[in-house]
Amino acid sequence: MIKRTKGILAPLALASGIVLSLGLPVQAQTEDAATKAIEAAKQFSGTTITVVAEAGLQALLDKQITAAEWEAQTGIKVNVVELPFEEIYPKQLLEHQAGTGAYDTLLISPAYLADMVANGMVEDLGPYVEKYGVAAEDADINPAFADWQFYDGTRYGLVVDGDVLVTYYRKDLFADPANQEAFRAKYGYDLAPPADYGQFGDIACFLTEKYAPDLYGAGVINTGYMFFMFGERFRVAGGRFFDAETMKATVNSDIGVQVLTQMIEQNKCMAPGIETWGFAENLSALNAGQIGMTISWPPLGRWAQGVNINDAALSWVPATTVADKIGYAVNPGGHPELAAGFLSGVSVNSKNKDAAYLYAQWMHSKTQSLQNVMRPVGLRDPYRMSHYTSPEYQELWASAPEYLAVLQEGAANGLADFSWIETFRYQDAMSRAVLDAISGADPKESLDGLVAEWDGMTEEIGVDRQRAAYQAWAAKPSAYRE
Amino acid sequence: MKMLRSLVWYATSLVVCVVFLFPIYWIFAVSLKKPEEIFRSPPAWFPSEPQFNNFRVLFTEGDVWSIFNSLVISGSATVIAMLLGTLCAYGMVRFRIGGEHLSTFIIAQRLLPPIAIVFPLFLVYSQLGLADTYHGLILLYTAFALPFVIWMARGFLLEVPPELEEAALIDGCTRFGALWRVAVPMARNGLFATAVFAFIYSWNEFLFALIMTRNNVMTYTVQISNYFGPQSTFWAKIAAMSVLGTVPVLILVSVMQRYLVRGISLGAVKG
Amino acid sequence: MTTAQSSVFGRPFGAGRSVRPGFWYVAPAVFILILIGLLPIFWSIWVSLLNLTGSNRDGTFIGLRNYARIFSDEKLGWSLVRTLMIMAVALPIQLVLGMLLALHFQAEKPLKKLFVTLLVLPAVISPMVAGSMWRLMFDHKFGPVNQIISFFTEKPVVLLWTIRGDLPFWSIIITEVWQWTPFMFIILMAAISNVDRDQMNAAAIDGARPHQIFRHVVLPAIWPVLIIALLIRGLDLFRIFDSVWQLTRGGPGNRTETISVFMYIRGFQGFDTSYIAAVVVVLAVVLSAIVMLAVRRVGLDR
Repeated sequence: MIKRTKGILAPLALASGIVLSLGLPVQAQTEDAATKAIEAAKQFSGTTITVVAEAGLQALLDKQITAAEWEAQTGIKVNVVELPFEEIYPKQLLEHQAGTGAYDTLLISPAYLADMVANGMVEDLGPYVEKYGVAAEDADINPAFADWQFYDGTRYGLVVDGDVLVTYYRKDLFADPANQEAFRAKYGYDLAPPADYGQFGDIACFLTEKYAPDLYGAGVINTGYMFFMFGERFRVAGGRFFDAETMKATVNSDIGVQVLTQMIEQNKCMAPGIETWGFAENLSALNAGQIGMTISWPPLGRWAQGVNINDAALSWVPATTVADKIGYAVNPGGHPELAAGFLSGVSVNSKNKDAAYLYAQWMHSKTQSLQNVMRPVGLRDPYRMSHYTSPEYQELWASAPEYLAVLQEGAANGLADFSWIETFRYQDAMSRAVLDAISGADPKESLDGLVAEWDGMTEEIGVDRQRAAYQAWAAKPSAYRE
Repeated sequence: MKMLRSLVWYATSLVVCVVFLFPIYWIFAVSLKKPEEIFRSPPAWFPSEPQFNNFRVLFTEGDVWSIFNSLVISGSATVIAMLLGTLCAYGMVRFRIGGEHLSTFIIAQRLLPPIAIVFPLFLVYSQLGLADTYHGLILLYTAFALPFVIWMARGFLLEVPPELEEAALIDGCTRFGALWRVAVPMARNGLFATAVFAFIYSWNEFLFALIMTRNNVMTYTVQISNYFGPQSTFWAKIAAMSVLGTVPVLILVSVMQRYLVRGISLGAVKG
Repeated sequence: MTTAQSSVFGRPFGAGRSVRPGFWYVAPAVFILILIGLLPIFWSIWVSLLNLTGSNRDGTFIGLRNYARIFSDEKLGWSLVRTLMIMAVALPIQLVLGMLLALHFQAEKPLKKLFVTLLVLPAVISPMVAGSMWRLMFDHKFGPVNQIISFFTEKPVVLLWTIRGDLPFWSIIITEVWQWTPFMFIILMAAISNVDRDQMNAAAIDGARPHQIFRHVVLPAIWPVLIIALLIRGLDLFRIFDSVWQLTRGGPGNRTETISVFMYIRGFQGFDTSYIAAVVVVLAVVLSAIVMLAVRRVGLDR
C-alpha cells in the first residue's frame, strides 16, 4: 500500500518540481512583492545595509519595527541613520560628493529628485524592478504619487510615504445650528468646510469672534517649510513661479502679493503668537480643543482621534479631547499641496545595491506598506488605493473612511512640490521671504526681494539649464492643475 | 550698619544667582515634566508630578549611547591635547622654539569660524575613511584643544622657577625628567584646570560633530539637534538629553571649583 | 636657555644634526595643528580659484572671479554688519555686567564660593544646549519669559522673540550675555583680586573716592587681562553659530544671519563650495592681520 502511494507521489513531486523550477506562472495572480523581496534578499544574508530615515518619529518605524523584522526574515542587518528633515538632501549630497558609499538606501523627497539625478546620486531602479518587482502592484499606487517616482521617464524611487495637506475642522462647531444661522446671516453662505481661502479666513474670524479666548477659529503652520503653504495658495489663486520664456521669477505678481497679504491678514483672526506656531503647536491646540480649524499633514488626523496613542513613542503627543469631533476636508480651492512625501532609492555608491533595493521594495510593497501606514510611529501616510479601501484601516475609527476618502481625493487633485535645479535653495529663500512678511515686513518688498534672489540663483545656475528643468516639471499635470 | 550691608550683599547675590540659574532650572524642570505638561499653555512653573520617564526613554531607545560617545571622544582628545600641549609649551618656554611666530600661529587657530574649515576637512576625512569614527573626531578635537592648552600651559610653566629645574638637571635628571618630575607637579593646579576646560570645550562642541558623524559616533549635542523636526519637537527628549549632557559638566565644575578661579586667573594674567 | 645647558643635554640626534634641542617637544603638537588648521586654508585657496557650485562639480579654473564676487555680494556684507552689531552690543554688556559682578564678589563672605560656583554654570553649558534652552524659554505658548514679563506689566504680553521686529536680535544678545557674562566675571574677579591692596589703600588714604580708585588704580592694573578677555570673547562672538542656529536659523528672512550662518547656508545647503572657499581665504587674511596688529600693540607675544 505504502509502496504504491510512494510510487505515485514521487513522480508527482518530481513533476511539480520541474514545473515550478521552470518558473511557469503557477501562482502569478497572488504573487506578493513583499514575499518576493524577502525571498530574493535571503541570498544577501549576513550583509549590512545603511538606510536613511527622517529623524524622529519617521525613523522609529525602521529602528523599532521594520529593521528587526527584515533581519529576522532575511538575515540582512539594517543600520538606520537619522537626519533632520532639512538635512536629508544636503547630507546625502555631501556623502555622495565625498564618494563614501556610506548610505545604501536613500531617502528621497520628490522635490529633490531632479537635483539628485543631475548629481548622479541615484540608481536607475528599472532593472531591479524588472528583476525583483511585481508589476501588478504598481497599478495600485495613487497616480499622483506614482508620478513622483519617475524623472525623465526613468524610475529612481519607490513611494513609501504619501503626504498631502488636509484641512481639519471641528465638525461639532460647524454643525451647531446657532453657529450656522449666525454665519449665514453675516456672510451670506453656509457654514461648511471652506471652499476657498477667502472662506477660510471668514470662518476663522467668525469662530474667533464668538469663542475667543477659549477657542480660536483656526491655526496654521507659520514656521519653516512656508514654501509648502505659500506654494499651494499661490498656485490655487492662479499664480505661476516663472515666466517660462524669460525664466524671470513671477512670485511677486499681484497674485503673489495678494496671497501673502491674505495670509498675514488671516493671522490676525487667530490665537496671539500664531506667527510662531509650527506643527506641534497646531497639534497640541487642536487636541486641546483650542482651535476650530487647521491645515496640516495626515498624522494629525490619527492623533486627534487618539488612535494608538498609547504607544510609548507618542507619549509626547498631548492627549486628545476632541476625538470624534474632527471632520476632514480637502484644502480650500481643492488642490492641496503634496507636501514633502518620501521615496526610497538606492545610492550609486552603495556596495550592496540589490540588498538596498530589496529593503525598499519590501517597505513599498502592498502588504507591508499597509502595515506601515497604519502604525502610529513612522508617520507614513497612505498612498496606495488598497490603503484607502482597506477594511482594516477603515475600522480604525468611526470616521476613518471619511478621512481616507479625503486623503485619496486630495492626492488625486494635489499639487506637487516644485522641483527643478537646486530646488533646496529656492525653497529656503521662499520660506525665509514668506516668514519675513508674516513677522512684519512689507509683503510686496519681501516678494520683490525673493524674486531678486531667485533670479540671481537662476543666473548662477544658467538660465537655459534651469528653463529646461522648469519646463519639464511644469509639464506635469500636478504642477499647476489648470 | 554692617549687618544691613551684609544683608544687601546676600540679597543681591541671591537675585543674581536666581536670574542666571533660572534657565538651567527650567530645562531640568522640563526634563521631569510629563509630556502633556510640557505642551501646556501657559507653562507650569513646577512639574506637578516629577517623573524620570523622559530619561528612561533615552535609555530604552538607545539614545544615551551618544553620551558615551561624547565621553570617549572628549576624554581622549583632552588627554592627548594635555600631553602634547604641555610638551609643546615646555619646548616654547625652556627652549624658546618658534618664538613669536609660533605663538601667533597658535593664537591664529582660534580665529576662523569653524564653518570655514569644516568642508575641506570633511572631504579629506571621507577620503581617508576617518568620518564617523572615534579616532577621526578625537584627532579633530585634539587639534582644537591644543591652542588653548599650549597657551595656558605656557603661563603655568613660566610660573615654575627655573632654578628648581636646574637643580634637578644637576642631579642627573634629563630635560624630560625635569619636566615630568618638577615642572608639572608644581603647575599641577593650573594644568588640571586647563584640562577641565579643554574637556568641557570638546564636550560641548556641535558643528563639527554635526558634519563629521553619521550615527556611529554621534555625540550628545548632535543627538539633541535630531529632536527638532517639522512634525515633532521632542522637548521632553531635548530637555532630558540636555540634562544628561550638562550634569557631568556641573559635577566637574563643582569638584574643581577650588582650582577654577586660580586656574583661569593665572592663565589669563600670565597668558 | 644657555648654550651650556643645551650642549650638555640637547642634541637629541647626537653631534652634527641640526635639529634644535626642544624640537621634539614642539613637533607633535605643531604637526597636528598644521594638519588640521593649515591644510584646510591651502585647500580653500586652491578651490576658490575653481568653479564648484551646487550644480556644477567639474571644477573648471576661473581665477579670481570668486573674489570679485565677494565685493559685490550685498548679503555677505550685511551678514558681516550683523555680526559686528552683535559684537558691538553683546561685548560691552558682558564686560560691564562681568565687571559689576567681579567687584561685587570681591567681598570675602562665607557663602561667596557657593555663589561663584553657581554663577559659573551658564558658561560651561554647550552653546547649542543654551540656544535650545532659550528657544523654549522664548516660546510664546510654552515658554516662561512672556509669562514673567506679563507678571510685571500686569497684562498679557505677546512678544514673539524669534520673529518680530528687532526681538530676534535681542534674543540672541540675551542668550549670549546670559551665557558668557560669567566668563568675564570670573576672569575679572581673579584679576581684580590680584591688584595690590596696599596701593588701593594708599589711594583711599589720600582721599580718593571709590570710583577714582577704580579708574586710576584697579583698571590700569587689570588692563592686560581685560584686553585678553575682550579679544577672546570678541573672536568668539565673531564666530557665533550654535546659539543663533538654534534660536532663529538666521531668520526671519535673513535678519539674524551672521557670517557663520551665511557660510553654512551657502556652503552646506547651497553647495556653493568655491565661493565660500574664497570667503574663507579673505576672512583668514583679514582676521589674521587684525589679530596680529592687536597682539603687537598690547605686547602679548613677549
